Amino acid sequence: MKLIVSYVRRHIWMFLTAVAFLALEIFSDLMQPSFMASIVDDGVKGKSTGTILRYGAIMLVIAAAGAFGSVMRNIYSSRTSQLVGKEMRGDLYRKVQTLSFENIDRLQPSAIITRITNDVTQVQNFVNGSMRILLKAPITCIGAIALIIIQTPKQIPVLVGVLCISAVLIFFNTKLGYPRYSRMQQKLDRLNGVSREFLSSVRVVKAFGAEKQEQEKFDYAAGGFAKAGVDSDRVSAVFSPLINLTVNFGIVLLLWLSQAQTSRQIGRLMASVNYMTQVLFSLGMVSNILNMAVRALASSGRVKEILEERPAQAVAAHPPEFRPEGAVAFEGVSFAYAGTRRNALDHISFSVQPGETLGIIGPTGSGKSTLVSLVPRFYDATEGKVLLDSHDVTGLSPELLCHAIAIVPQKALLFSGTIAENLRWGDSGASDGELYRAAEDACADEFVRGFPGGYNMDLGEGGVNLSGGQKQRLCIARALLRRPRVLILDDCTSALDAETESEVLNNLRREAAGVTVLLISQRISTVMRADRILCMEDGALRGCGTHRELLDTCPAYRAIYHSQIGSEKDDG
Amino acid sequence: MRRGAPVVKPKDMKGTLRRLWSLTKGSRKGLGWILFLSSLTSVSSILSPLLIGNTVSAIDAGKPALRLIGFLAGLYFTDWLVNFLQKFFMASVGQRIILSVRVSLFSAMKKLPLCFFDRHQHGELMSRLTNDVDNISNTLSDSLTMLLTYVFTIVGIFCMMLFLNVFLTLVSLVSVVFIFLFTRIITKRTRKLYRQQQELLGKLDGQVEESISGLSLVKAFGREKQEVTQFESENEKFCEVATRAQIWSGYLMPIMNMLNNLCFVIIAVLSGMMAEKGEIAVGTISSFLLYSRQFSRPFVNIANIYNSFQTAVAGAERILEIFDEQPEPEDAPDAIPLKNPRGEIRFEHVCFSYEPGKPVLKDINLSIPSGTCAAIVGQTGSGKTTLVNLLTRFYDVDSGRILLDGHDLRSYRMSDLRSAFSVVLQDTSLFGVSVRDNISYGGQGVPLDRIRAAASTAGADPFIRRLPQGYDTVLTQEGAELSQGERQLLTIARAVLTDAPILILDEATSSVDTVTEQKIRRAMLAITRGRTSFLIAHRLSTIRNSDIIIVISNGHVEEQGTHRELMALDGKYASMYRTQMGIE
Repeated sequence: MKLIVSYVRRHIWMFLTAVAFLALEIFSDLMQPSFMASIVDDGVKGKSTGTILRYGAIMLVIAAAGAFGSVMRNIYSSRTSQLVGKEMRGDLYRKVQTLSFENIDRLQPSAIITRITNDVTQVQNFVNGSMRILLKAPITCIGAIALIIIQTPKQIPVLVGVLCISAVLIFFNTKLGYPRYSRMQQKLDRLNGVSREFLSSVRVVKAFGAEKQEQEKFDYAAGGFAKAGVDSDRVSAVFSPLINLTVNFGIVLLLWLSQAQTSRQIGRLMASVNYMTQVLFSLGMVSNILNMAVRALASSGRVKEILEERPAQAVAAHPPEFRPEGAVAFEGVSFAYAGTRRNALDHISFSVQPGETLGIIGPTGSGKSTLVSLVPRFYDATEGKVLLDSHDVTGLSPELLCHAIAIVPQKALLFSGTIAENLRWGDSGASDGELYRAAEDACADEFVRGFPGGYNMDLGEGGVNLSGGQKQRLCIARALLRRPRVLILDDCTSALDAETESEVLNNLRREAAGVTVLLISQRISTVMRADRILCMEDGALRGCGTHRELLDTCPAYRAIYHSQIGSEKDDG
Repeated sequence: MRRGAPVVKPKDMKGTLRRLWSLTKGSRKGLGWILFLSSLTSVSSILSPLLIGNTVSAIDAGKPALRLIGFLAGLYFTDWLVNFLQKFFMASVGQRIILSVRVSLFSAMKKLPLCFFDRHQHGELMSRLTNDVDNISNTLSDSLTMLLTYVFTIVGIFCMMLFLNVFLTLVSLVSVVFIFLFTRIITKRTRKLYRQQQELLGKLDGQVEESISGLSLVKAFGREKQEVTQFESENEKFCEVATRAQIWSGYLMPIMNMLNNLCFVIIAVLSGMMAEKGEIAVGTISSFLLYSRQFSRPFVNIANIYNSFQTAVAGAERILEIFDEQPEPEDAPDAIPLKNPRGEIRFEHVCFSYEPGKPVLKDINLSIPSGTCAAIVGQTGSGKTTLVNLLTRFYDVDSGRILLDGHDLRSYRMSDLRSAFSVVLQDTSLFGVSVRDNISYGGQGVPLDRIRAAASTAGADPFIRRLPQGYDTVLTQEGAELSQGERQLLTIARAVLTDAPILILDEATSSVDTVTEQKIRRAMLAITRGRTSFLIAHRLSTIRNSDIIIVISNGHVEEQGTHRELMALDGKYASMYRTQMGIE
């Protein structure tokens, strides 16, 4: 609730304006019946058209004022609630951008998506609804209660009873509703998760004819969500009629009591029955908004979870400012992924001079990608230090790291938008010439120009229209455009044919002279020309040196070599 | 970056509603009960004021009122019961309707061809599956029940008014005409706005999904600021449209209220004049005025419901769009069942393009005898994967045909055809289930030893054993916890287990180290013996021993033959081979 209030507070004037107009609306609502009564009683019964016209005019003026209030109230309340929603969404999104992979892995992407979209909407609906009844319900309720107390003090016990029972019912409604609504939102996470998984692996689903299996998964998730929905709807199905029943029985009780009394005051009885209906009316409104409120509470709890999530990586308060040269060093670095015990990296130490090219090779799952992912701080080392120009990377500002390092990931990932827009991720201010140059160096210029629209061709989601090798080359161009000090190439030429690959690598050597390159590859021929090569196995360093040195000293490297080149010569 | 303001096409609302209604099939009986119960609640809400009035006057007159009070208590109790039952059932009926809409939407979606998924952002489709479906249900459940109550009230009161005075009744009908008019004007606006709102919401979802999926790159390139700016601008647009939609909807009630009041005054004045002339009794007038007041209220409420119906319609339109998409072609009625295919494949003059005017394959002719191991090589973007896409009928050829065992692929049942292939795609998608279930994906109840055997063949067994729970380890992050090479090994194991007559490996081992790759190759040799298999690989060492090597270049078959033949030819293949081996 605190969270919701803190957002509403930012627009407190608009909120109050809406409430003020609401007051006008209520005032007009309350006045109208009395004038209507006057028209009938004085005008029609008195057969005086003049009176009818006079009262009619007054009534229309009041109604117009009410309509005006209502329109204005709606304008302000819509704006306020939408702004609250917008800001909450924006804050969530911004927050998510600051989280590290560890956080994201734990929170689950689909759950984050649900919160940004659905949960915020729940809160927003409540804020809007609250401005509609905020005054109405309490004013009518308090007014009616006050009148009962003043006019028919004898009925206070009945009133107190009704209010107490209603309060208890409302309490239980909240108590039972809250966990159910949050479970419902969790099930929505699940549903989003299942559909997201299906969408991102639709090719595999179709290739394996697993549509039925996916449908079953979806049905199960949707069924779970529906069941959770029934569960939470049923809470209100139980309680809101019960609140009605309580007030109704209050009325019955009033009638019964006055029936038993000897001195009857019929006028007062009528009045208190009327007031009781008013109480009923406002309690009904309360119970209406109550479910919205409980749902919003559950949702705001979930929103808060993310807003209060501590980024797993601390950002240094006073990071040093310097122009990075591009020297990278690992000092006794160990790393284990959260939730696993096995070290993915085990006491790794090495250093790379600025401008040096370091090849990294090793069997599948030996920790090559993990190793390079510590340099731009995708993860932080659990032990030891990763240094950039002899500064611990954990003490550097994210901006500095980001500008100094460019990575071409193993999985070529592009975003929706045009090719040029994707490349400009590297440098949003790059000129067209620079753009083409980077693309040429990545051997991408030619095929891009062959596309309808060329650099302005819109890529579908994730660049699905491109072949694997084309995507990889665009990713390389994107990284080149950044002109980094450290360039990380994580097996990013695997889908390129050998000719294109060697052309790309040659271009790199020429264009990126002076840039430190960390080059992961499976192909000996690719890493062979690096200044030095790291050979990894099971998260540990097996050897480090030039191609020649490793061939002589490192059995693991020799095995890889023979599997590729040696055997060619044997049977070729 | 993402496209500008959505284009809003006005659609046929009646048609939409009719089709929406047809989706509620299966829940109609439940809906009927709910309508019945809600009509009962309207009866009790009419009766209770009457009873209270009678009771009060009985007490006033000093008559015994216990029985009346008892009646009242009974009425309230029934009212509670009916109300409770109605809400209780509504909960399950409403949710059942949503469930069935959602499930049939997903079912329609999964039948769509791949090009549909290429065109749409994932988050946007997710939004349709959640937000738009929810929108339908919210309004549907609320408004349907109320609608009935209002119609009852209108008919009842209209009769009473006619009975009292025909002329005045006609006058008050004028206000109804105005109500209709204004509702139309306003809902025309709100409908458009709601539609935009849902579209923008979908886009917002799309962006959120994409940026979370690609967060590693967003961070690596320090794009947080741009991503936020872009999100903010979409968010702003959404907020703007949603606010406008809400404001326009908000005009409805006050205007209606004004109209009502105006009408009330007009009738009062008219009847007052009539009364002066003695044409009408004063008592009649006051009753008539009270009724006319009650008469227009349900109309206003219906107008309001109609307005909120627009969100449902907007959601429904977006859902029906999916239903209207052309699904993968149905199997022909005379489709040939495909059992144990021999695996003889022929491409005859096959042409294909993903986008018109940009041909990817141009007049491909290939003949691959049963049991052959065929390797496809060529530069990136030359169309190798496209061949696979056509074989598995992810896409259909533009012209020419592909024959399997002498029959056009399109003449087989789709499910038979797809199960004739074991495919390892470049796409190494894994699912958030156990390693074991990932390997046995597509089939169920496979015994563990067969899964192990498949994993061993694929060289995946050693690393799986090292996982915390071995084969039962659940891949919570869709396999993000595995390295790319390990993912490939799992997908190979998946294909090995499928054990289909034709094997397709598209860059299956590109991220796997060469030592492991050799082991896999040796193990696969036993499996592929006697089977038709297609290998796509860039490491030519992988495919050297294939029976036939097909070199694709620019969508043409440039060369084909064995390694020796092609080396002797000294053409494209030979030059590629030499570059790669560093022989030059």
